[in-house]
Amino acid sequence: MFPMLTLLSMFYYICLRRRCRSGSRSEALGSRRAVELAQRSSGPVGGIGGSGSGGELEQYAKEVLDFSSHYGSENSMSYTMWNLAGAPNVYPSSGDFTQTAVFRTYGHWWEQCPSARAPYRRTPRSFHSTDFLELAFEEPVYPTAVEVLETYHPGAVVQILACSLNPFTQNPPTDVRWEVLWSGEPSKAPTPHSRQFSPTIRHLSFPTNLLRVEVNSGLLEYYTELDAIILRGVRERPMLALYKMPLIDMNDLSDGEDDAVAIGNQRFPPAGDDKHNNTGNGYFDKLPYELIQLIVSHLTLPDLCRLAQSCKLLQQHCCDPLQYQQLSLQPYWAALTDASLAHLQPRCALLQRLNASWTGNRGAVTSNGFCSFLKVCGAGLVSLELSCCHFLCEASMEVIAQTCPGLQELNLASCDRLQPQAFSHVSKLTSLRRLVLYRTKVEQTALLSILTFCTELQHLNLGSCVRIQDYDVVASMLAVRCRRLRSLDLWRCGSLTERGLGELALGCGRLEELDLGWCSTLQSSSGCFQHLARCLPRLRKLFLTANRSVCDQDLDQMAACCPKLQHVDILGTRMVSPSSLKKLLQSCPELKLVDVSFCSQIDTRVVQELTSLFPNVAIKKSFTQ
Amino acid sequence: MFSVISYGRLVARAVIGGLSQTDSRDYSLVTASFGFGKDFRKGILKKGMCYGDDACFIARHKSADVLGVADGVGGWRDYGVDPSQFSGTLMRTCERLVKEGRFIPSNPVGILTTSYYELLQNKAPLLGSSTACIVVLDRQSHRLHTANLGDSGFLVVRGGEVVHRSDEQQHYFNTPFQLSIAPPEAAGAVLSDSPDAADSSSFDVQIGDIILTATDGLFDNMPDYMILQELKKLKNTNYESIQQTAKSIAEQAHVLAYDPNYMSPFAQFACDNGLNVRGGKPDDITVLLSIVAEYTD
Repeated sequence: MFPMLTLLSMFYYICLRRRCRSGSRSEALGSRRAVELAQRSSGPVGGIGGSGSGGELEQYAKEVLDFSSHYGSENSMSYTMWNLAGAPNVYPSSGDFTQTAVFRTYGHWWEQCPSARAPYRRTPRSFHSTDFLELAFEEPVYPTAVEVLETYHPGAVVQILACSLNPFTQNPPTDVRWEVLWSGEPSKAPTPHSRQFSPTIRHLSFPTNLLRVEVNSGLLEYYTELDAIILRGVRERPMLALYKMPLIDMNDLSDGEDDAVAIGNQRFPPAGDDKHNNTGNGYFDKLPYELIQLIVSHLTLPDLCRLAQSCKLLQQHCCDPLQYQQLSLQPYWAALTDASLAHLQPRCALLQRLNASWTGNRGAVTSNGFCSFLKVCGAGLVSLELSCCHFLCEASMEVIAQTCPGLQELNLASCDRLQPQAFSHVSKLTSLRRLVLYRTKVEQTALLSILTFCTELQHLNLGSCVRIQDYDVVASMLAVRCRRLRSLDLWRCGSLTERGLGELALGCGRLEELDLGWCSTLQSSSGCFQHLARCLPRLRKLFLTANRSVCDQDLDQMAACCPKLQHVDILGTRMVSPSSLKKLLQSCPELKLVDVSFCSQIDTRVVQELTSLFPNVAIKKSFTQ
Repeated sequence: MFSVISYGRLVARAVIGGLSQTDSRDYSLVTASFGFGKDFRKGILKKGMCYGDDACFIARHKSADVLGVADGVGGWRDYGVDPSQFSGTLMRTCERLVKEGRFIPSNPVGILTTSYYELLQNKAPLLGSSTACIVVLDRQSHRLHTANLGDSGFLVVRGGEVVHRSDEQQHYFNTPFQLSIAPPEAAGAVLSDSPDAADSSSFDVQIGDIILTATDGLFDNMPDYMILQELKKLKNTNYESIQQTAKSIAEQAHVLAYDPNYMSPFAQFACDNGLNVRGGKPDDITVLLSIVAEYTD
């Protein structure tokens, strides 16, 4: 009786203390944190297992709502993200199958290319995600388990989140919350074979039918492939088990990642008491200004904002615009709102590089909010990452074009809801050096106009731009106007022929990186690849993925003329023999990646032999069974 | 008095007749398949619905029932390509398209076009060619939409008579229209028809209609009257009797194919074209037999 009372009183005392602490920090959160912590500390829920009050519900995904990239074509069902909906097609088999969902990249290869963007400082160590996908399920449940069926090279999942919004409701509520169900490090499974990945997920205080899975395939040997995602949960909210010993995690008592949400609700601290500070800070304020700036420059953004609240000196340092020359908001996509941007505005006068990719999820950031931020802070902007920013519209593109005339890098990857008219404003950014239009709806006239005016372009990504009818015209324009081009991504650009490629090779002699994957209209018999190799001696990356006509003569010409080659992909050709591949490996000492998957003459024995002869080269051979 | 009764009966019949015209029930197809591969010595255990170089599929979606057959062109074997791979993958892809709802019931040619496009999206280089025949029943509108490319085809039998049939599409003797993917070095020399070249047709069907979809292995060995004879034996609309009838049709065609003295439709056609031959035509036989019935879940 008495031990029970003491236990209960301990439990309530700690809960009340937490309620006090959380109340003074951020009213906007309400009592959510307290409720959540109370629930968490109650320990694992009992009674689940089919015979619970609501019974356990197992659901496959109903619809794939959004994603950052995929390997397949738009409107196809091969290697595209839409394969994640419904029951699995391949699992438990392993292999490289068309019925799975595959992302566009894997490993670190793309980060080594000339077209890679420089990393942002202040990226939190816990943020690893490079790609994401969002799935809707039929019925909202309180999740008990999330199972990811990975059928090839598993290990990429780094974060699973759940949203409080039901994507199928007619009247969406204004407050939308994303909670992390599980997060981890990028990993690599011991074998490339299929597995069911079912991490231990946190308890959720609201029912959900919208999940987000973030991945990082940096450690993997080849493309990871996902077959299906299963959501297990209960309809009724799990009961708190009071008789269980409350499990109090030490981490709960300190401020966790939840405080990232508080970025938007910073209040400036009351005036400090100088006399009080002088005795206790160990002469910290005697340090030179630049040194404190250097120390503070190592903090992540939320810590920087929190530090600003501690005293006047540190507030001065933390709000110094020099600290905000590079701003990466991508890790905080779930918490960023218009109000957050408005609060950061006064500090960002010297902003040069801004990464707002993935933000604006479900209306948290609006076009107006972003535009007003840009109008204040965008004058000196040099690099702007806006991948998957669905709040963008024509008006925002116009504002970008007007306020950032010196913009050199613009990333609009997967902004597939952006109207084609919006791209006409990009041609006003005449200093552009890097432009990513992967999976956008840009049309031919707008693109030609961009190429006419943006003559400084060095890196251009037109992958999966399906609205462009004639790539030969685009290639001719590039050859004439963009002669400084160093990298060009024409992944799945269906209408490019040897005519356009020939002009491109003659005009853009500085090309180092060229991705012509799945451009099926190019025929090797026309000599276009040999001509390409002769014209581009600086070539470091050449992808001829799934071009079935690549043959020995092409490889021989590449071996002879392109000694700097590092990444080569000749997936799916039947006409390349082991001897010419060996010649290529011998002639190009800098080769690091060669993908010979589905090349019928290059079998695993040849791959093994070549790998032992050339240990520095990763020779990739995919399999289907 | 009598005239009133007879007049009333007439009116009643007319009214009831008029009402029964608008049948708001959903229809569906009850389908069974059977077949024989040409070379039964092969013994390779293929995934179901593949008979030799032929392949077929039966699928359903919310609004439609879809069937298809494909006849892989055997000539590829001489070049080291397995002809059953192309037809099998084509049918598997059509099945997947239907199950995921990526089709319009009134446009079966679209199924072929999309499926052919998907074949080209496969990383593995697929080679080969095949004919194709797709039959779609729109459950609500009671219309049958078909697409046929090549010499496979279908028959619709109502009341013991053929009311619809498909036409064979041939370039020349024994060379039907075909979907194909050729190796790049031989792209000009290989016959490759576009999916748009398929013949399409749409017509209404009634409950009790029998639809026989098959590859040329059946039609080249069994003339219509024999097929109709076998179909007369079909009494019920349950799956077992349809399966039994499909089996007997396929078996009979298989026996006739190896009969050297029988004047098969194929031999008849050859003779008409100046080739003096007799006997059946050994070929892969695939038979899909369906009956239009009321939709039950």
